[in-house]
Amino acid sequence: MRTKIKDAMYPVVFAIAFLVLWELVVRLFDIPLYLLPSPTGILSVMDSSLWSHMMVTLLEALAGFVLANVLGLITAVIFVHSKPIEKGVFPLAIALKTTPLVALAPLLVVWMGTGYSSKVVASMLICFFPILVNSVKGLKAIEHEAWELFSTYKGTKSEIFWKLRLPASLPYVFSALKISTSLAIVGAIVGEFVGANKGLGYVVLVSSYHMDTPVMFSAIIASALCGLVLFWAISLLERRIIFWQRTDDL
Amino acid sequence: MLTTASGLEKEVSRLHEEQTINSSKSEIAVTLKNCSLSFGDVNVLNNVSIDIYKNEFVSILGPSGCGKSTLLRLMLDLLQPNAGGEIVYPSKELSLGMVFQKPVLMPWLTAIQNISLPLTIGEKKFSKKEIKEKAESSLRLVGLQDFMNHFPHQLSGGMQQRIAIARALAADPTVLLMDEPFGALDEFTREKLNFELLRLWESPETSLSTVVMVTHSIQESVLLSNRVIMMSPRPAGVEDIISVPLPSPREIGMDELPAFHQTVNALRKRVKHL
Repeated sequence: MRTKIKDAMYPVVFAIAFLVLWELVVRLFDIPLYLLPSPTGILSVMDSSLWSHMMVTLLEALAGFVLANVLGLITAVIFVHSKPIEKGVFPLAIALKTTPLVALAPLLVVWMGTGYSSKVVASMLICFFPILVNSVKGLKAIEHEAWELFSTYKGTKSEIFWKLRLPASLPYVFSALKISTSLAIVGAIVGEFVGANKGLGYVVLVSSYHMDTPVMFSAIIASALCGLVLFWAISLLERRIIFWQRTDDL
Repeated sequence: MLTTASGLEKEVSRLHEEQTINSSKSEIAVTLKNCSLSFGDVNVLNNVSIDIYKNEFVSILGPSGCGKSTLLRLMLDLLQPNAGGEIVYPSKELSLGMVFQKPVLMPWLTAIQNISLPLTIGEKKFSKKEIKEKAESSLRLVGLQDFMNHFPHQLSGGMQQRIAIARALAADPTVLLMDEPFGALDEFTREKLNFELLRLWESPETSLSTVVMVTHSIQESVLLSNRVIMMSPRPAGVEDIISVPLPSPREIGMDELPAFHQTVNALRKRVKHL
């Protein structure tokens, strides 16, 4: 426990040192505000409105994330049980993946308007592929002997799925979930760039029009925080659920 | 000294004859008739015919990749022999158990849950209470009752393999098939588990009557089994079947008897000959 706290101190110390250096550089060299605001300058523009924009983006991202993962997992299960469907649909999924989300986002806004739904769908589209690929891989990754064990004792297909395939795929599923956390935020913000009147993407865009760099920084930092919060939440869940595996990252 | 040694040998050869006579009298546990198997163009097994009897411990010995494991998988009905081949279990109360080289435990299940697994899938013949009792008693048989709620990653390799054996025993098998069960373990653990296995096979507490073990260790096969089935390299066929002239029950130290060395040497010569 003590070493854990000690380990957590390292990045904190370096972050503080970096912020102090930043503040000093800005003050000493009198760097103009529109180029680089000081950390204290950024902190002073962080207010409750930023918080509410952040909540909007987080909600959109989270909704897209959850929908994408539920759909992706279901699709993966279908793929694993039906070769024709896998062969037919997988190339389409790859085509969807290779289409840049930035190119699709305006269409989503035309179809669904500037409200939540276009951002949720944008976030969903970008999260869908990792979970699909990893779940298919995980569901197929069972040891041959484990399968033989279930066959020897006459395990049914559904028993093999629930008692073997699904739990064995969890490490793969969770690595996809962790990848998707940051992607979900990207999806939501791209959606907000195209057409929105709230959310962090909207704040970034508007502040760039006004050359309001401190506000822009505050929104950028807030979006990074959104991603971190999601990632940590998933990592925590992973450690609880896949207790038999040592995960070293964060 | 000399006289004792020769006396022992006489005793051993008498036992040998007795065993041969016994096995010709006793009931067959499983028969393989003309079993061949090919994957595409590759011939893996070539016309294998073996009778294995009840109350017998048989080793299948052969070089790596000669199709020993494939033979076990035929006996488990995981693979089917080519047309003309047949595997017959005459007994009506047949129950098969399998132990792999790796423990193949589910890492998300505790020791006791892993042992219960075979009882909770397939035909589901047992009530929850019976499953619990059976799992606990087979955990006791392998001496790990104190590790009931441990997860596999909290157990050593030897303990994990003991759990795998307990899992096979929980379903009350009459025939136990083992595929190099101790091959991945260190020498010390391996020796210990070998004798534990013999004890379980001899024990009246288990329903176990026949053990078929695949191994590539000549010593292990001689020390443990009544008969050693020697396989030739691919396409594998039965090269020879050798009865082991050692008294039963087998005990630690029997690997110092002359009969042990003679049998080991005889088998080793056959290996060189292949």
